[in-house]
Amino acid sequence: MMRRIPTALIVAALALGASNQAIADTSGKRIALSNNYAGNSWRQAMLRSWDKVTSQAVEKGVVSAADAFTTAENQVTEQAAQIQNLILQGYDAIVINAASPEGLNGAVKEACDAGVTVVSFDGVVTEPCAWRIAVDFKQMGKDEVLYLADRLPDGGNLLEIRGLAGVFVDDEISAGIHDGVAETGKFKIVGSVHGNWAQDVAQKAVAGILPSLPEIAAVVTQGGDGYGAAQAFKAAGRPTPVIVMGNRHDELTWWKEQKDANNYETMSVSIAPGVSTLAFWVAQQVLDGQSVPKDLVVPFLRIDQDNLEENLATTEAGGVANVEYSLEDAKAVISAAGG
Amino acid sequence: MTYLARIGRQPWLWAWIAALTVWLATALFTGGQGAAEVMSAATTFGAFFVIVALGQMFVITLGPGNVDLSIPATMTLAGTVAMKVMDGANAMIPVGFLLAVAVGLGVGAINYGLIRFLRIPPIIATLSSSFIFQSAAIWYNRGLRIKPPEALADFATAKILGVPVLAVVVVLLAVVMHFVLVRTVYGRGVIAIGQNQRAAHLAGVPVERTRATTYVMCAVFASCCGYVLGAFSGGAALNMGEEYLLSSIAVVVIGGTSVAGGYANVPGLWGAALFLFLLVTMLNTFGAGAGVRLVLTGLIIIAVIVAASGGRKRDG
Repeated sequence: MMRRIPTALIVAALALGASNQAIADTSGKRIALSNNYAGNSWRQAMLRSWDKVTSQAVEKGVVSAADAFTTAENQVTEQAAQIQNLILQGYDAIVINAASPEGLNGAVKEACDAGVTVVSFDGVVTEPCAWRIAVDFKQMGKDEVLYLADRLPDGGNLLEIRGLAGVFVDDEISAGIHDGVAETGKFKIVGSVHGNWAQDVAQKAVAGILPSLPEIAAVVTQGGDGYGAAQAFKAAGRPTPVIVMGNRHDELTWWKEQKDANNYETMSVSIAPGVSTLAFWVAQQVLDGQSVPKDLVVPFLRIDQDNLEENLATTEAGGVANVEYSLEDAKAVISAAGG
Repeated sequence: MTYLARIGRQPWLWAWIAALTVWLATALFTGGQGAAEVMSAATTFGAFFVIVALGQMFVITLGPGNVDLSIPATMTLAGTVAMKVMDGANAMIPVGFLLAVAVGLGVGAINYGLIRFLRIPPIIATLSSSFIFQSAAIWYNRGLRIKPPEALADFATAKILGVPVLAVVVVLLAVVMHFVLVRTVYGRGVIAIGQNQRAAHLAGVPVERTRATTYVMCAVFASCCGYVLGAFSGGAALNMGEEYLLSSIAVVVIGGTSVAGGYANVPGLWGAALFLFLLVTMLNTFGAGAGVRLVLTGLIIIAVIVAASGGRKRDG
């Protein structure tokens, strides 16, 4: 009996040593993507990026599977059931873009209790056992106004195009914009409409309010709505203000056309749909036994006047400007968060 | 006097009164600035509502339970297919239009087939078929947004003396559909079926043929709307039809058409479409927050519907 204990200790020590080794350790692991919605171009690009990056990872044997599942109805109950199924199917990690920050917490807790690693991104969950790759939406809104304060030293009137009413992201970006306006003290928001992050809805809302507005110096947006705003200004025969753009191909194309025609200057700030691949690598790192802080922050995808052409060239016609993340990028994000 | 009294009882009157009131309130708030431009924008965007609502009105008039919930998915599918096939080439505009119409014919046939031959209630049939159409649109183009041909986009956004060409076309379409509703055997058949399907059948109305025509027509209107909306807004997007699900029904009901079927009118559709756009514009202009805006939108719509159905002679 006495002699067996040191042996067990040695075995344990060897096992521990091995688990700190390279990525080959996750080669038997299976990761699932639980996605709540696929009905717009951003989500389609997100799924394509996931597919591209994870299929390469599977081929190289980094993980054994990385399957994507999307719910049909964008409903909490449906996604909760989906997560429960994924637990039963024995996935080692579930990467979630959640339909609700709180609604899935029960299912997420079940997954954690079953020993499954849960990593949420974009639509993050609040359950403490899960990892969160969140976006600092407030900073995103503020960056827009800070840029405008530089561009337009005299300030002026702003038209704000918001997203979908009642959604957390919309409130955060808008709060950031209002903070920026208060801080710079140069601008006045004279109108605010909801464009639902969609070109045609934004176009309609702006066309309605525009006739009653004074001269507009700039339009602050939330992405996906810049081109619609530009169309509405054109239809109303008003001078084109500085419109902050999102990352859709038609927004960038319009910007490029204006830049070539009359040196139009603006900027674009958005979240790359490839953030799903960042979540994938974070899940892989957690499975690999690395120490990863629970709260991580995604870098913005910012496009400026001088790197517009470069970004436009890499954006698929009709698609969304995108960045796919590598294992090294994930490690950098993790170490930036103090992991 | 009797003429005035008759006008006063028209169910479509309330939508028009509401639209005008909201427009005047906006104009008063801004001191008259931009009132004409607001009306011009309202006719542009109202036109899209009217196209889909024309089809939805005929479907709803067929009687309780009849409604087409596949309109958003049909719009998306038709817009996506047409834009991709045209691929920005002016020469392909007619082909794109025919394809959009073909999508509508196909969608309508599938919807009616589910209702008639599998005996699925229309709400469930059109809701479930819409998943198929939406998925087909996703599969066909993976959410990429292709620009419409230049000439088509110019047509969709053109204005003559401040009046959008598209609105003129849709007004003409509405006039035609008004006569189809009140002057043709088909239109009277739709109303008769909505009032009493058995009586209509006994009176010799070809009930199933009329229903089939109506569902197919509704899908074709939705397809055409998707085609024009794609041209207007610079391409078809996967979520382009989203807000047309509820608004297509709201426009029909606010316009004074009975949601229980059997009573319909076309003029109310235009009034209601203008009203819906002007209402959102008014609340935006007032600077109301999103919460207040949604609550007020709900309350005002309820008020108009109550007023409209109070003015309707149900026994006549």
